[in-house]
Amino acid sequence: MNCERMKELMADYLAGELEEKTLAEARAHLAGCSVCREELESLSAIWTKLGVLPKEQPSAALRSRFYDMLEAYKEGLERGGIAARPLQSLSSWLSRLMPRRPAYQLALAFVLIIAGLGSGYLLNVRSRSAAQIEVAALGQEINEMRRTVAVSLLKQASPSERLMGVSWSSRVDRPGDEIITALLETLDHDSNVNVRLAAVDALYLFYGHPEVKDGLVRSLAGQTSPLVQLALIDLLVGIRERRAAEALERLIQDEKLNPKVKKRAELGLVQLS
Amino acid sequence: MKTIVRLAGIIVLLWAVGMADTAQQSQTDHAVVSFTNPAKPGTVEVDVNEGSITVRGYEGKDVIIDARWRERALTQERREIEAALTGVEEELDKEELAKIKAQAEKARGMRMLAVESMGLTIEEEDNVIQVSVEEGKRAVDLIIQVPFSTSLQLSCRDDERGVTVERVNGEIEVDTSDGPITLTNVSGPVVADSSEGEIKVVFGKITPGKPMSLSAMDGDIDITLPLDVKASLKMKTDEGQIFTDFDVQLTPSQQKREEDERKEGGGYRVTYEKVTLGLINGGGTEIQLTTYEGNIYVRKAK
Repeated sequence: MNCERMKELMADYLAGELEEKTLAEARAHLAGCSVCREELESLSAIWTKLGVLPKEQPSAALRSRFYDMLEAYKEGLERGGIAARPLQSLSSWLSRLMPRRPAYQLALAFVLIIAGLGSGYLLNVRSRSAAQIEVAALGQEINEMRRTVAVSLLKQASPSERLMGVSWSSRVDRPGDEIITALLETLDHDSNVNVRLAAVDALYLFYGHPEVKDGLVRSLAGQTSPLVQLALIDLLVGIRERRAAEALERLIQDEKLNPKVKKRAELGLVQLS
Repeated sequence: MKTIVRLAGIIVLLWAVGMADTAQQSQTDHAVVSFTNPAKPGTVEVDVNEGSITVRGYEGKDVIIDARWRERALTQERREIEAALTGVEEELDKEELAKIKAQAEKARGMRMLAVESMGLTIEEEDNVIQVSVEEGKRAVDLIIQVPFSTSLQLSCRDDERGVTVERVNGEIEVDTSDGPITLTNVSGPVVADSSEGEIKVVFGKITPGKPMSLSAMDGDIDITLPLDVKASLKMKTDEGQIFTDFDVQLTPSQQKREEDERKEGGGYRVTYEKVTLGLINGGGTEIQLTTYEGNIYVRKAK
């Protein structure tokens, strides 16, 4: 290999694009030729410096200058008598973007379709899961709101509003301790018999909750209204709460007990045993 | 502001002594009480142990209370004493009898003066008027006139005559143990219960959206609703029947309970609540009607 040939190959050498055989020849020449070696070194330094140069960003003015130029060009065309219709110029501009070979055109179309489908799918998945989360959050919020409203309604002065509170409580999914405590409190202390009766009905829906059965059994001893006593006895016998037997026996001992309640309590004791 | 009108003792009039012989004529008390803020609907709370309550709406701003005291009903104890004094002695023990005879001896030739106070108290505070009668005094029939929009809270025990309300549009809460509850031309919400009495309510119109509940043990529940009422009825009767002339759309009760304890060595059971749900004109205001032994009547207003 002579120096002439080496100079031609230098760019490829630095880029690492030489074939193995040529590369070996080039190395052999460089080993014996100090001139070429020096030239390669200086070239390599420039090469590296070029690599670290920052990429030039087009200035904002460039854009407007480009459009000015385009405008001037179009005017020139029009003045020249070749009336370029805007649509035509657009299509010719677009066609310049298009690859010439049909195979590439097909490939480009394919890539665009895939990209479109993919991004659509991604968007869809993301929005769907977001919607699901939103719906779940909304549901939870409504449940939370019901809970708060129910508890605050139970404390109102108007018995009708307290009835509404009981009815809201029974619509809460998975009632927390707060609701159960509020309902048991209503059952034990509300001044109105109808509200207490509604509380019995609502608690019946939640008797799977551990505190409810205990609360119901405890409440029976404290009730004075025969109506509430009957409702509680019916409920406790209905759910076969065996611990109620003791409370029923104590109730029957009460001399002031309404005779109908007494009869029902005695019947309940038989059913429970 | 707090107004207390104490009528106790006002009627300690000497002529009452003279009236003692004309036994059938009863004493009366009369009071007029105004609300702190007459522009705002007030509340009247009445608690009577022995007696009846009648409330009527009228075109006025004040609350007018009339109390008619009944002649003292003979208590069981008093009856025994009188029987003892007239010679039927076997009911009482000797010691008790000796004491009564000694007392009667001391009062020989004299008569008892009716100078006891009646024990009626009326208080007003923050637009709430409370009327109460001391326990153990004579039975009383209270007749109260209130502005139409007044809310009522009435409680009446141990009496056959019960509670009557006419033409009141406020919220009404009533409970009685023995007597009936009769409400006419009211709009609710009504929340009422009675152990022994029946409940009869004729609604002039219905305040929408406010739940109501009527509960009785022995008595019937009889309600009359406006033709175009939108109501969701929840009716429960153990031994009675349900009657109506409304076109009620019945929906199956969803209160079903399933229990499977077979894994834990128990049994399997399905129970249904004895509740009948009925919608009138598509449903609306929740009305719960509960009675154990009585019937339920839901009538169309004529």
